[in-house]
Amino acid sequence: MSTPNTNVASYLYEVPGPRGRRRIIIGSIISALIIAGVIGAGLWQFGSRGQLDADKWTPFLDLAIWKYLGVGLLGTLQAAAIVAILGASFGTLLALGRVSKVRWLSWLCAGYIEIARTVPVLLLIYLMLFGLPQLGINFPVLWKLAIPLTLANAAVFAEIVRAGILSLPRGQAEAAFSLGLRSSQVMRLVVLPQAVRNVTPSLITQLVSLMKDTSLGFIVAFTELLYRGQVLSSFNHLLIQTYLVVTIIYLLVNGSLSGLASRLQKKPGRRRTTIASATMALPLPTPGGQSPQKAPHV
Amino acid sequence: MEIFTENAGLLLDAIGTTLLMVLVAGVGSLILGVLVTVARVSPIPILRRAAFLYVQFFINVPLLALLLLAVFALPDAGLILPLLPTAIIVLTVYEAAYVAEAVRSGINTVSVGQIEASRALGLTLWQSLRLIVIPQSLRAVVQPLGNVMIALAMNTALAAVVGVVELTSRVNKINLVYAQPIEIFTGAGLAYMLIALAIGLAAGRIERKVAILR
Amino acid sequence: MFTLGSSRRRVAVFGAAVAVTALALSACSTDSSSNVPGGDDAADVTDVQAMLAGAPVADDALFTAGSTMEKIRERGTLIVGEALDAPLLSQQDPANPDDVAGFDAYLAQLLSVYIFGEPSVEIVPPASETREALLQNGTVDVVFNTYTITEERAEQITFAGPYFSSGLAVAVKADNDEIKGIDDLGGKTVIVGANTPAVLAVPEEQPTAELVDFATDPQAVQALLQGRGDAYVQDYTLLASNAAANSDLKVVGQPFTAEPYGIGLGFGDTEFKDFINNWLLEIQDGGQWGQAWTYSLGTVVESEIPTPPTIGSVPGS
Repeated sequence: MSTPNTNVASYLYEVPGPRGRRRIIIGSIISALIIAGVIGAGLWQFGSRGQLDADKWTPFLDLAIWKYLGVGLLGTLQAAAIVAILGASFGTLLALGRVSKVRWLSWLCAGYIEIARTVPVLLLIYLMLFGLPQLGINFPVLWKLAIPLTLANAAVFAEIVRAGILSLPRGQAEAAFSLGLRSSQVMRLVVLPQAVRNVTPSLITQLVSLMKDTSLGFIVAFTELLYRGQVLSSFNHLLIQTYLVVTIIYLLVNGSLSGLASRLQKKPGRRRTTIASATMALPLPTPGGQSPQKAPHV
Repeated sequence: MEIFTENAGLLLDAIGTTLLMVLVAGVGSLILGVLVTVARVSPIPILRRAAFLYVQFFINVPLLALLLLAVFALPDAGLILPLLPTAIIVLTVYEAAYVAEAVRSGINTVSVGQIEASRALGLTLWQSLRLIVIPQSLRAVVQPLGNVMIALAMNTALAAVVGVVELTSRVNKINLVYAQPIEIFTGAGLAYMLIALAIGLAAGRIERKVAILR
Repeated sequence: MFTLGSSRRRVAVFGAAVAVTALALSACSTDSSSNVPGGDDAADVTDVQAMLAGAPVADDALFTAGSTMEKIRERGTLIVGEALDAPLLSQQDPANPDDVAGFDAYLAQLLSVYIFGEPSVEIVPPASETREALLQNGTVDVVFNTYTITEERAEQITFAGPYFSSGLAVAVKADNDEIKGIDDLGGKTVIVGANTPAVLAVPEEQPTAELVDFATDPQAVQALLQGRGDAYVQDYTLLASNAAANSDLKVVGQPFTAEPYGIGLGFGDTEFKDFINNWLLEIQDGGQWGQAWTYSLGTVVESEIPTPPTIGSVPGS
């Protein structure tokens, strides 16, 4: 999470000379003043309206409140874990179907992906909430949240995994076929493991996104972070402070996940060489044997 | 079906509100997102840092929490606007972070030779960004930007939770009267799919027009 | 709108109570020692425990074999559909999540005492649209959730009670002298709770009013105070509790609808309905009904304990 310095950015300008340095310093001072000014004005406004008064914040020193919100966070993590596992599995199947040579299967999966990507999750939740009980179906509240989120996220996971599959050099699959592997083995042992590895940062980014989506649990009264924040605010009548605290918790949890994603993103080059050299060092896989499965995990 | 014809006026109004949000927040987030990207590659460290934090903040906080904060907290800091403009502003600053991510990945596709050439020609940083780098990087990310715009269209539905009467909110109200959720919400889903389809087609057309043939 | 003679009288009580409440507000909010003016300081925990200890317990003969109440007794917990974020009615205490206080919550506990001899309640918070579904497929045994008895709902589920009657009323900012009740809302922007009876009732009374709806009561109050609407229409009891917690808000005029609250049960379970109606009579006679009111709504409404509505007096019950 260090200051981003994209590879292109470093070519955009020369190492600054004395004049350039002076300009950068002036620019830094001006932008620092503007940023500090905006934040200061905001804080001053909040303060002058009494929103920063100690008595509006001291309730949050109570450990019990953090325990209460902590249980909500657990609910968020639980829902996110379920959606991630189901969504990623379903998404992988969709991606495989999408790249399959069977025409109708490919179309079906493509159709599903397009539809699920273009309907708001909130609408899916409403449909579950109002529609299914009419058909005599009613799920526990966790699933009222998890099912619509899974349906929507599977489509995104499918697109990510597909991008990973397409990003692999064709030689990988060709080499695997020439070793005598069947196409299901090629997919399972050679293509998928590498594809997933290549798109790991995107997968984690999507994990952050679905973690944010679980805040919709608020609508189905599922015990997650935002819902607990809601019950807390109706109890202490401190809406602003409660929502701010909840926002900061999301920021910390998701921020550390995003940090992980960007750290993984920064070193794909080095990783790939280690994979390659490690794989080369391994004995050739025996056809049909279990040993090749291990190779990508080294 | 008669549910939709009986409420055609209300529904058209609501679709209009949804489209207005998509349009204004879409254009706004594209502009803001490019500005944030420029700040991210600028030579001023503090701007780079601020732009980075901006993107991180909005990518990690749920839109629903931001909407609740903006609608209920900002008025206490003296910033009060009607609901619709508030929702549009929140959507704009939120999606701008995603636009900035997309454009940044586009900047990485601009070949170094282009930039070196522009510098060799004596262009200033601002000139080479404006004339060389940004146009090419935007061309490279038309599809990803289209996806951000589709996500924006889906996200406008969340404005229903803070009282904006857009499509989702309207159909929810209609359902309260008619209690025919499956027809009503499926109909609304189709409308969203059409909006997304339009954005996708537009992105496809633009991409074909501006694609860089190498 | 006032179809019931008794509700007219109750409305008068409410009107008087509103005026007094307005005076009592500041006292109420400064009294609270903690910074959490809400349901928690409304009642003393020991008072509630005493009420539950003295509450009636059903005779064994009432648990006929195969009946719903017998199954519940076998299971050992009463599963109740009730809110967690409705101050004075059913509000969870975040500092002590097992403590849910308010009129609905106390009644649910009293019912569990009636069945088991001691309180044992498990709460499933419903989104207000899914209550019928929760009952239909047996996720919950009963619903205590300001559940207005209507004939439409009675086609899907069965209501015991009514156990309380309230009505929709109008709240405005404390400095608003222009709006004095529902009759002044023509052409005004009116805040309502999403999916509450007000969404349909306000246009019926004032077709020209423009509605803005918010998902939750605290949000609606905040929106009113920020001037996002001219008035907030909500259940009278909820408004009274808001006005008690916040002196910037006042309730004006009288309730303009009658909302008889019932206890939701599985459709057609008349055996269980009779059991519950029987229990309602017992806690009304035993004084627990009045105590539950005094420890919850009674802390913000300065009037005598209201007369409970007659059981079965509403179409649909």
